[in-house]
Amino acid sequence: MSDRPLTSVGRTKRRHDAVLKTTGAARYTADITLPGMLHAKVLRSPHAHARIVSLDASRARATPGVRAVLTRDELGETPGYGFFIKDQPVVARDRVRYAGDVVAAVAADDEAAALAALAVIDVVYEELPPLPDVPAALAEDAPELFPGDKPPGIVPPYGTGASGHLWPRPNVCYEFRYATGSEEVWEGCDHVFEDTFAFSRMNHFHLEPFVTVADVRGDRVELWSSTQNPFPLRKELARVLATDESRVRVHVPFVGGGFGAKNNCKTEPVAALLSRMAGRPVRYCLTTEEAFLTLSQHAALLRVRTGVMADGTFVARDSEILLDAGAYTDGSPLVAEKACYRIPGPYRWEHVNSTCSAVMTTTTPAGPYRGFGATQATWASESQVDMIARRLGMDPYALRVKNLKGLGEPFIPGDGGIDSDLVQGLDAVADELGYHERPAHPHRGMGLAIGFKDGGGVNKPAQARVKVTATGEVYVNAGSVEMGQGISTALCQVAAEVLGVPAERVTYAAIDTDTTPWDQGTNASSGMVVTGRAVQLAAEDARDRVLAFAASRLGCAPEALELVDWGVRKDGCETVPLPSLVAPVFGGTGYEFTGEGFFKAPNSAEAPLESPCVFWEIGWAGAEVEVDPDTGKVTVLKLVASGDVGRAVNKLVCRGQDEGSALMGYAQALFEEMRYDNGVLVNGEALEYRVPMAEDLPGQFVSITQEQGHGPGPFGSKGAGEGPMVPVAAAVANAVHDAVGARVRTLPLTPERVFHALRESAAAPAE
Amino acid sequence: MSEQLTIGLEIDGRPHTEEIEPRTVLLDLLRERHGLTGVKASCERGVCDACTTLVDGVPTASCSMFAFSADGSSVETVAGQSPGGVPGPVQRAFAECGGFQCGYCTPGMIMLTTALLREHPEPDDAQVREWISSNICRCTGYQMIIDSVHRAAALLKEESA
Repeated sequence: MSDRPLTSVGRTKRRHDAVLKTTGAARYTADITLPGMLHAKVLRSPHAHARIVSLDASRARATPGVRAVLTRDELGETPGYGFFIKDQPVVARDRVRYAGDVVAAVAADDEAAALAALAVIDVVYEELPPLPDVPAALAEDAPELFPGDKPPGIVPPYGTGASGHLWPRPNVCYEFRYATGSEEVWEGCDHVFEDTFAFSRMNHFHLEPFVTVADVRGDRVELWSSTQNPFPLRKELARVLATDESRVRVHVPFVGGGFGAKNNCKTEPVAALLSRMAGRPVRYCLTTEEAFLTLSQHAALLRVRTGVMADGTFVARDSEILLDAGAYTDGSPLVAEKACYRIPGPYRWEHVNSTCSAVMTTTTPAGPYRGFGATQATWASESQVDMIARRLGMDPYALRVKNLKGLGEPFIPGDGGIDSDLVQGLDAVADELGYHERPAHPHRGMGLAIGFKDGGGVNKPAQARVKVTATGEVYVNAGSVEMGQGISTALCQVAAEVLGVPAERVTYAAIDTDTTPWDQGTNASSGMVVTGRAVQLAAEDARDRVLAFAASRLGCAPEALELVDWGVRKDGCETVPLPSLVAPVFGGTGYEFTGEGFFKAPNSAEAPLESPCVFWEIGWAGAEVEVDPDTGKVTVLKLVASGDVGRAVNKLVCRGQDEGSALMGYAQALFEEMRYDNGVLVNGEALEYRVPMAEDLPGQFVSITQEQGHGPGPFGSKGAGEGPMVPVAAAVANAVHDAVGARVRTLPLTPERVFHALRESAAAPAE
Repeated sequence: MSEQLTIGLEIDGRPHTEEIEPRTVLLDLLRERHGLTGVKASCERGVCDACTTLVDGVPTASCSMFAFSADGSSVETVAGQSPGGVPGPVQRAFAECGGFQCGYCTPGMIMLTTALLREHPEPDDAQVREWISSNICRCTGYQMIIDSVHRAAALLKEESA
């Protein structure tokens, strides 16, 4: 059976959600209404940092149409929420920590009534000094954002070489360290280069807003939410609401984009608490402007010190990363862990020593964002690789090839082998770009970079169930959320392949935490490999049950049977339709064969992050740019981006992931950023915050979906969706350097920055 | 309560008379009164254009148009593109070419494409880029949308042949 040619996997199948989404019939949380539903809005702090002296909401409670008002007075013992650290209150208690912090919430008959009530809440603030950025927060005399007793938190049981520390110094919520090898090797290095870099922050800009409809009835909490991780959300909500997890039920309709933003509590606690108070369903939907005040990517300052031999051999790398965590910790400890762990890049080192601190500032909380720390790390790491090459008089491509890990070599001791041929991938991009033949041109140049991250999530388990009806219709029950990436289609193709039915006969079941098998969440590009393996195992379990049943009816061994389009074939003979076997046993009304699957990478004390990485998500990028020396404007003539998906279960879906993620990196390279002026966000709305439009596309944009065949997922697959974003900014900066000899160390590469870099390089042409 | 206005408009080919408040925006009228949730609300200030509908054939951000301004107009939404539940050629093209991911910009992109192809039945790449640049897609990187537009042009041509 295993030798049969694949019929579903690897095909460019139309996505399962195609009809629903192209006809506008797809239902999202934002589209859900319930009878008697109220609408919530919140009051946000106008100050970056202030003590709440007094708060009077009595006039809000008396406003017509208002059904519930939530302030610190109603909050009682309600705990805060967060990933590792439970620091974010549902509404502010004694102080506000950023302009946009939630102070009070109102549920009313409509949004207009809720807004009218918010306008008459009287709050007296006593302003405190803001912490607009990382240097301000780390200054010796900086006020603490969380003075006194720190919010409770946890540190995971890391393995060899890794350690984590909660609140190691003022305004640092988490510090992660990783070291391996002897530091004595520094003494033998021919050259040591130290460079610093700055990384800007972006908004996720998912088009479906943050939105929840909560319906608390009696002791039951039912929610529809635009979330990426319904099960951890269920757990966290149960804690916040002081109820049993089994009383909380989360439905996840289609999600209109996430990119990391929609993990854990966002709109859910306010909606649920207001619904509990009002005794009616509550819809709480944020505006785009509020999304800018809810979560962002991490800005970062990075220092990288690298020791090399004269021939270019890498020896040691010492890195320090400071992430701007914003005002609440959200996913910052996890992002710190990953940025720190990934910054050496996929190269051979004798010694690595990295630290990353998540620094609290009075800005929008930062959290998970596509790339998850790897984008920050790679910006510094891959920029410096090119800088070192030029200092040594080597070609940046050759320096990379000389030091890249080989296929199967562990990233670091205790972790898994690299499951992509890194040079092969680099060649695919370099050849498409014509890198080696690039003509000398005064203002044009080319650059390469390799993005590198562990994929599959830390220690992530996933379960799945596959049901097959008496007539051979298949249901895949799994907790991977369809938010655009195409995972529902891919998982259905996997089940179809195992069960030998056309993929069109497979349905991806609606997600409902009461019935859907458990899944840690839709993040870390884990859907294809981790949830995918669980689905594959569940489908195999279902198939085995079908074959065992058929064998018992036909009086043969299950091994002698093969499933063919919902019939069984014995030793290549005539196919017996299964319905004719099922009905006499289970009755004519029907029956469902059910299989279960579970997957998790095994734990290991040697693995620094608890378990070896499930797969390595690699992205390669190459850019050809032209720089206008008079203005500093960078024009990308050609962008080539590539990910290795092991095997493409659906080529259309993989291409979409590669191109979408690459364009996000491209925007970050050139123009997209949340701009702060002394801690005040100045472009927090759709018009002034520029995301890429079709007119911003590079002159040529080529994506290459590599299928190197080394993936641990179903049929050799790997995850996708983050890899090609990660290296793009460094590739563009490297191309600018190649073009005009100027190095920009701060993102994005605005004309102003490039212009200044040009002037600096003209003044000191040593590099 | 503010005064009510009476307007008449056509939605996806059917005439309607509506009693509305002056502050009602077209997007809310379509979504909340007519259940046309295929018209998506996102930035609600006429930038992302996920809410694109055609008003007398012109692509319009329905979030930024008062309903009374549509008095006497013909409004086309994505729901009108699949009469009888059968996806139309533009929708089929987007489905076939994977010109969507999360699906939130898709109804707006499909309406935009519908208008584009009425004006330029065989658009070149530059025309497609220029038109599509009025709507935001955060997922695809646009190239598969551009492919979808060209495919839609081909399907429409086949259909009219």
